[in-house]
Amino acid sequence: MKKHFLAASLVLSAFSSFGAAYQLNLQGLRQLAMGGTGAAWPWDASTIYYNPGGLARLHGIQVYASALAIMPSTGFANQSTSGNQSTATRSIDQTFVPFSVYVGGPIQQDSKFAVGMGIYTPAGMGLKWDDNWLGKYIVQDIQLKAVCFQPTISYRISDLLSVGGGFVYTTGTLDLKQAMAVHGQAGPNYDDGQAKLHGTASGVGFNLGVQMRVREYLQLGFTYRSQINMSIGSGTAEFTVPASLRSTFPNTNFDSQLPLPQVATIGIGVRPVEALTIQFDLNYTGWNSYDSLRINFKDHTSGLKDMHAPRQYKNTLTPRIGANYKISKIVSVMLGGAFDPTPVKSGFVSPDLPDGNRAVITWGAAIKPLRGFTILASFESTSTSVHDESYDYGGFSGAYKTQAFTTGLGIYYNF
Amino acid sequence: MKNIYIIGAMACLLSACKPSVNITTPPSAGDVDFTNYMAIGNSLTAGYADNSLTVSGQLNSYPQRLFEQFSLVGAKGPFIQPLLVSDIGYPGPKKVMGYTYGYCTHDTSMGPVDYPTWVSEPRDAETYLSGVNNNQINNVAVPGIRVVDYPVAGYASAFNPYAKRFYKDPSKRPLDELQYRVSNLSPTFFTMWMGANDVLGYATAGGQGDGTGNASPSIPGFNLYNNNDISPIKAFTDNYDSILRVARSSGADGALINIPDVTSIPFFTTVPANGLTLTRQGQVDSLQALYARAGFDKVFQLGANYFIVQDHNGNTRQAVPGELILLTVPQDSIKCKGWGSIKPIPAQYVLTTDELQNIRNNTKLMNEIIKARSVREHLAYVDMNTYLGTISKGITYNGIKYTAEYVTGGAFSLDGVHLTPRGYALVANEILRTINEFYHATIPYTDVNKYPGIKF
Repeated sequence: MKKHFLAASLVLSAFSSFGAAYQLNLQGLRQLAMGGTGAAWPWDASTIYYNPGGLARLHGIQVYASALAIMPSTGFANQSTSGNQSTATRSIDQTFVPFSVYVGGPIQQDSKFAVGMGIYTPAGMGLKWDDNWLGKYIVQDIQLKAVCFQPTISYRISDLLSVGGGFVYTTGTLDLKQAMAVHGQAGPNYDDGQAKLHGTASGVGFNLGVQMRVREYLQLGFTYRSQINMSIGSGTAEFTVPASLRSTFPNTNFDSQLPLPQVATIGIGVRPVEALTIQFDLNYTGWNSYDSLRINFKDHTSGLKDMHAPRQYKNTLTPRIGANYKISKIVSVMLGGAFDPTPVKSGFVSPDLPDGNRAVITWGAAIKPLRGFTILASFESTSTSVHDESYDYGGFSGAYKTQAFTTGLGIYYNF
Repeated sequence: MKNIYIIGAMACLLSACKPSVNITTPPSAGDVDFTNYMAIGNSLTAGYADNSLTVSGQLNSYPQRLFEQFSLVGAKGPFIQPLLVSDIGYPGPKKVMGYTYGYCTHDTSMGPVDYPTWVSEPRDAETYLSGVNNNQINNVAVPGIRVVDYPVAGYASAFNPYAKRFYKDPSKRPLDELQYRVSNLSPTFFTMWMGANDVLGYATAGGQGDGTGNASPSIPGFNLYNNNDISPIKAFTDNYDSILRVARSSGADGALINIPDVTSIPFFTTVPANGLTLTRQGQVDSLQALYARAGFDKVFQLGANYFIVQDHNGNTRQAVPGELILLTVPQDSIKCKGWGSIKPIPAQYVLTTDELQNIRNNTKLMNEIIKARSVREHLAYVDMNTYLGTISKGITYNGIKYTAEYVTGGAFSLDGVHLTPRGYALVANEILRTINEFYHATIPYTDVNKYPGIKF
């Protein structure tokens, strides 16, 4: 009988994890500064990401490199317990540094055929709370990083039509920490256990694009990025628990799937006057292709069971708009904005992903000090409103507000 | 709508992106003056847990949690509880998780055991004096006390070591003590959670006594009723009224908390009534033969079988679905001495269908009285019976799932009857919820997970 005293009950809450908040849209600096638009116009070698079909329209081989610094921050308060001021809190400051490198273009002057290679970060974010915050049993820290490698080919069928495609190999890491409600007999009253999960993931997909030059002043772009199933084969799970529960929570391995969602984009670019280009993009993101982060442990005990939280993501439509104005042969400036709706339904907003509808404004400049050589600087400011959310599965609710400021610098050189 | 987002995004540039979410609902007391808070009750109110009273249990009582929240809306401290000196249990050892060796099963297993090095602390038994404001005490709860004990002179000195510790005059009636405490403190607000022991004693004794709610006094002429029986409804009602009258004699508003369904607590639900597991056909055949000889037909099968039990009339029979076996049944006797199979489990460890019906019927009657009093007196009525019922099904609070499962459920302490500090904090929040609703207050809730659960 007494053996059964420990043989029950879930003490780990499932991570829900991963969504729009972790998806980055920063793969090209000029596009970033134009609200994230870029399917219709081939600005530079970063079109390998935005529309592989545009690569064949570049003039010669280009080398492109950029780095960004993102500083996100999320504020939280639980209104009903907030008389105890300690519940109002903010995530711990972190800076993430995604980067992009592209090499590519038509293989010879005036060739219809182009090749290229892109290395970029489709996701690279995290959210770290104080270890003792109100939601610690759901999440203390989550970090998700990924890098894509995309060899690409592109072909200009006619002046009107060009196509392109790339194979995408993605590799990344996932790190999660949460407190466990298992207290030891020694030590202070309040002495949580902790679960730490670390895994490396990889997956493959593709990126296809078509670009149409309808008129001198009008271009269209269509792209499709496939879903990438990032699978973690043998991640490590470590549990800090009282000695008497060691056998209930053995350190073990886990496997999991982290799908990066498919995205279909329609883009329109217009150039009413030579100096001004305006772009509209509409992204349709297939978030509903997966329902949660499911973690399957290799060993199972009475306390250690596979983690899975229900989730009902909805697909989203993100409108983006941006403009590029060429002040002179040397200097251009960019401005843009987007409205990025959250894929997370109400009742499912977890503190490991306190996602909300986000307003994005962007701006930047490009300077061409030397022939063939361009320097880019871009800025993005993202913000949600203060939104009251609940995570019913975990019995957790509160008001969140997330803001992020991004600075990017890059250069490219045309051979 | 979008404008707001854009303003938000612009603001981000200026303030370097450090969002803060501000509190929009300031705490308010609503219609109530919380200045002086008094808690009246039994073990559940005293902070009793793990089969004993300890100072850390007292400091984690739900009245302590309520006071902390009330102090945000005007309650004045200090909040005085008659604290013990020791933390290992008074007057007996508390239970802790530990290893035991089963001499009949020859294995070591982990589970609740008595505090291993317990010795009684003489200072705990000394008379408690708060020394504050004419010996003010805010939490006057007494573990073990029933509603029907209030008119019993000498109750504290004769029957209750907890009351004896802090009663001003243990030879008087608990009602006199309450009157003294109320005039001493002049509470402006009180909570009263009384009545659980008026049914619990019967339940934990496996249903001894009459059980119908019509019991006569143990000694004719005295207002003293058998602790192992259900209190008579008439005496319950009269005394509840008396307590309430005294509690309100300083004009306090308050909340009346009803009686939980004691049959859904782990003390009664942990040992399954069909826990007789037969793995060999030989066992089945010999039990079949045994009870055929004894003259009655029992059906045994491979796998789970209902235990053989004794009912309170002394009859041996097989338990039926819904009947409950008490947590205190000696496991060694079941495993190695044939209890529940070749010998019946004694009646004191079994709640039969009739007994359960008695408990439920009388709990319902008593709760109807408590509710009627709350209506009559315009007091908040906290339906703890329903709330603790939801914990039995499992509730999730800030990532932790609390259930009524013994040890691992997190809400009930190691005695299977009383709550953990987290369980008491959940109770405090349910009381706050009711007070907020009834008195139009916005008292913030306590952060349940800040307090300890079971210590492994």
